[in-house]
Amino acid sequence: MKTILAFAFLLSAPVGFAQPAFTAPPPSTAPVADSAQRRAQYLARRMESLRWRTDQAVPGEPAKLGLAEIAAKLALREDAAACSVRIVELMKTPTGDMFWMFPATAISYLGRDQLTPEAKAAIREAWRTYFPLRGDTENHWVMYYTTMHLMADLWPGEGANRWFNGKSSAEISAESRAWLLHWIDLTTTIGQGEYDCTHYLGEYAIPMLYLATWAKDPQMRQRGRMMLDWIFADFAVETLNGAYIGSHARTDDTTVLEKWNALSSYFAWQLLGNCPPPAAYGGWGIYFSTIAEHYELPEVIYRIGTDRSGSFTHTERKRTRHRWRNSDVRNAPVYKTAYITPDYALGSDQGGLLQPIQQHSWDLTWSVPDPRGVHNTIFSVQPFFGPEELMMYFAEMPDYMPASVTFQGKPTYISEAKLLGGSPYEQIFQQDDTLITLSDIPASAPWKQINGFFSKDLARLEEDASGWLFAQGGRAYIAYRPLAPYEWRPLEKGGKRLLSPHAKNGTILQAAAAREFASWDEFKARIRALPLSIAREPTLRVAFTSLRGKKIEATYGAAPRVDGRVVDHAKEWKLFAGPYLNAEVGGRKLTLTHGKLKRVIDFNTLTVTDSSGP
Amino acid sequence: MIAGRRLFFVAITLLASAASGAELKHDLYVCANVSGQGGVMGRSTGPVRSGLFRSADRERFEHIGPHHIRTFTVTFDPADPARLYVGLLDGILRTSDRMKTLRIVTGWDMQEGKSISVDPSRPEHVYAGIPDGIAVSHDRGQTWTRMNAGIRRAYTESILVDRTQAGRVLAGTELGIYLTEDGARTWRLVQATDKVTYAIRQSPHDPKVFLATTSANGAFRSTDRGATWRRIPSVPSERTLHNIEFDPHNPRRLVYCGWGAGVQISEDDGATWQDRTTGLPRREVWRVAVDPDVPERIYAGPYQEPLFASDDFGRTWRPLEFGKATVFDLVFVPRK
Repeated sequence: MKTILAFAFLLSAPVGFAQPAFTAPPPSTAPVADSAQRRAQYLARRMESLRWRTDQAVPGEPAKLGLAEIAAKLALREDAAACSVRIVELMKTPTGDMFWMFPATAISYLGRDQLTPEAKAAIREAWRTYFPLRGDTENHWVMYYTTMHLMADLWPGEGANRWFNGKSSAEISAESRAWLLHWIDLTTTIGQGEYDCTHYLGEYAIPMLYLATWAKDPQMRQRGRMMLDWIFADFAVETLNGAYIGSHARTDDTTVLEKWNALSSYFAWQLLGNCPPPAAYGGWGIYFSTIAEHYELPEVIYRIGTDRSGSFTHTERKRTRHRWRNSDVRNAPVYKTAYITPDYALGSDQGGLLQPIQQHSWDLTWSVPDPRGVHNTIFSVQPFFGPEELMMYFAEMPDYMPASVTFQGKPTYISEAKLLGGSPYEQIFQQDDTLITLSDIPASAPWKQINGFFSKDLARLEEDASGWLFAQGGRAYIAYRPLAPYEWRPLEKGGKRLLSPHAKNGTILQAAAAREFASWDEFKARIRALPLSIAREPTLRVAFTSLRGKKIEATYGAAPRVDGRVVDHAKEWKLFAGPYLNAEVGGRKLTLTHGKLKRVIDFNTLTVTDSSGP
Repeated sequence: MIAGRRLFFVAITLLASAASGAELKHDLYVCANVSGQGGVMGRSTGPVRSGLFRSADRERFEHIGPHHIRTFTVTFDPADPARLYVGLLDGILRTSDRMKTLRIVTGWDMQEGKSISVDPSRPEHVYAGIPDGIAVSHDRGQTWTRMNAGIRRAYTESILVDRTQAGRVLAGTELGIYLTEDGARTWRLVQATDKVTYAIRQSPHDPKVFLATTSANGAFRSTDRGATWRRIPSVPSERTLHNIEFDPHNPRRLVYCGWGAGVQISEDDGATWQDRTTGLPRREVWRVAVDPDVPERIYAGPYQEPLFASDDFGRTWRPLEFGKATVFDLVFVPRK
């Protein structure tokens, strides 16, 4: 019956996809109960993105037949002859390092029984003559070693003279396997280093899908499947209608404001179906689509990602990426908290320099019917940059790096108005939907100020005589308290920046659902009545009793207290903890639960166990 | 026109070396990223080739390496100078035929070779400074072992074997200069620093004398083979100093460069310094080198500028090669 339903759905899908999903009306956010229907919709979305991509190729215009279009065509088993001819040309000038390696891998495997001998020979020769860089960060290495592993599988038994790095197939296979096991072990014991990235989610998921599908070794395929579940569960739990919320190791100047506009939303669209995909399916999304039929999102993850019928708190531990200098530890712990409701989500880390350049430490994101072009978020940052940060995470000479990164796709890195990046002088604590940041900024810092982002899409914004700023975003009421005087600056992309130029500074944010109050005025009155004390000397300190009745005491340089109890992140934060994801630090085992559904992903035994309660 | 200009300077080079009674005994190797400031991993770098370049005549440069924008350093085997060890982002690369064949000889856990030194007394022993410590090979790079026990903050940017004693090695790390006398089995701190030591050099005139440059403490000198060190008071500590070199032709002449420091020359063994940056397009100088074959010839690599040469030890400069380059290293490799 389910098969019939799925077939019926596929037949009813619009032929030709005249309007791609990234311009069509937004999809429903209601979970799809029927598994066959869910699967059919998943496959239809895959087909839509592949079809859109193949349509970008124009006959007679070779420049429009790139690696992505070729991968899509081969996935659909179309135009193999034309693709082969084009591959011979493209393989003469490979470029892009690890970002070339995984498209080349996809094409190689998809084309095994389609490409001409000449095209296959051209690909083979490229892997001998082109020297792709290994890269300097986790997503680079996942792409690099996964593709090296798969290509050594594809061309086994070949000598060192057949590979660009002078190693044999057997050596490449062993080395890449060792790295992948090392990375999986780190991830499943102390967390990912480039955690929860709005873009780089794809650079982990796509290689893992390839590993799960194409690796010769059944155990490596199993690891690939299990890592996909792990990564997607980690993602799904911190989404609100598909938007990746809260703290990210890396995001960018666009996505930090327009939360949905990221490659991660391609995955939300493809896997959960509850938001539009980004334009062009996020660019790289096509490489997942090519073989997406080989993966089926477990229902428990689907439910975790789409059920926003109630509120929940989720905590997790991640790690910083590798620290080379300015640190006595290779990977420092990252403590994340998220409070997610049907109307809004608040997420944060503990502050500090946890990642270079593109760290995003906290935000409140509110639900919107259509996220495209909407800045549905509010947050603050202590703007900071410098060679000390970059030396910590990059093994290069110190002085040229700050200016250099602005030429490398991070244009705001050295800007006073920046809204992206971590600060060593920022300390953050979140309890439920209340958040306090404290900053004590020394004279040596680049800027002694806080930047707060106030969206163009706020339905209201009022400056209250009490010192609170009251705002509304969607169905979320927001109380924002700057700890020091401030002024406003316009923002090029709309909205305005709260600039608070004081060294001892910070932010208090309290969120609530509009439906909790009889009126806007009642919300404001309730906030004004909350006990609050702010002290700057001798040490910056805030004591605040939240809307949820918790007395939060935050002191700069000290552990926070809640109702008098000291919060010890190191002892209390598990790898995952909450109603849906649970894992111990060092455990290599993740338990997913939703209602009666349960899945245990256990890397100790390399097993996945599903169960369904009564 | 360009060919004519090159021929002119080739003639100058040959005349200068002939006048000194010497022939060009070395090839000049350059590790450079010439892909521009926006050149970043994972993106197209266009048709320009970066990596390892070789010049036999000091004027024309041949790209011999794989295109690679993070090729940091090159070192030769003194027993067989054709054998090169290249430190790059992907680890340590070894070649014996100018990259016609090559091999990355390190694995995934030993990456970003920053400096490499071959023990002249035991050339099968090779030492490499890497971001998380020190790697040692006892079989000419075929296999490697991590050997940085005892070093706090093991980031190692510079490493140098004392040519007078096998297994005696100095390492410039994040927080100081370390010395081993047992082939890296044990290390002891001989000079603490606040930040990284970027270069260590041994005098070609007196093997007891060593120099080191740092990121936050200026420069240091040792006159007892690196066992003890003293700050060179005439060198300021405000700038990151990338490297320092002895003049093989003049025992009292030194040169160093750095970020914002330009090119500084001493004619009195480091007592005083003269700024010789005039003629270079900027003071951010990544690398400086003294030609062992051509007296008075030095080279400088200003950041994102061509490689420059001077035939009067920095009084005047001329652009030599490349457009916008980051010159990571300049190394003279014996032809025999």
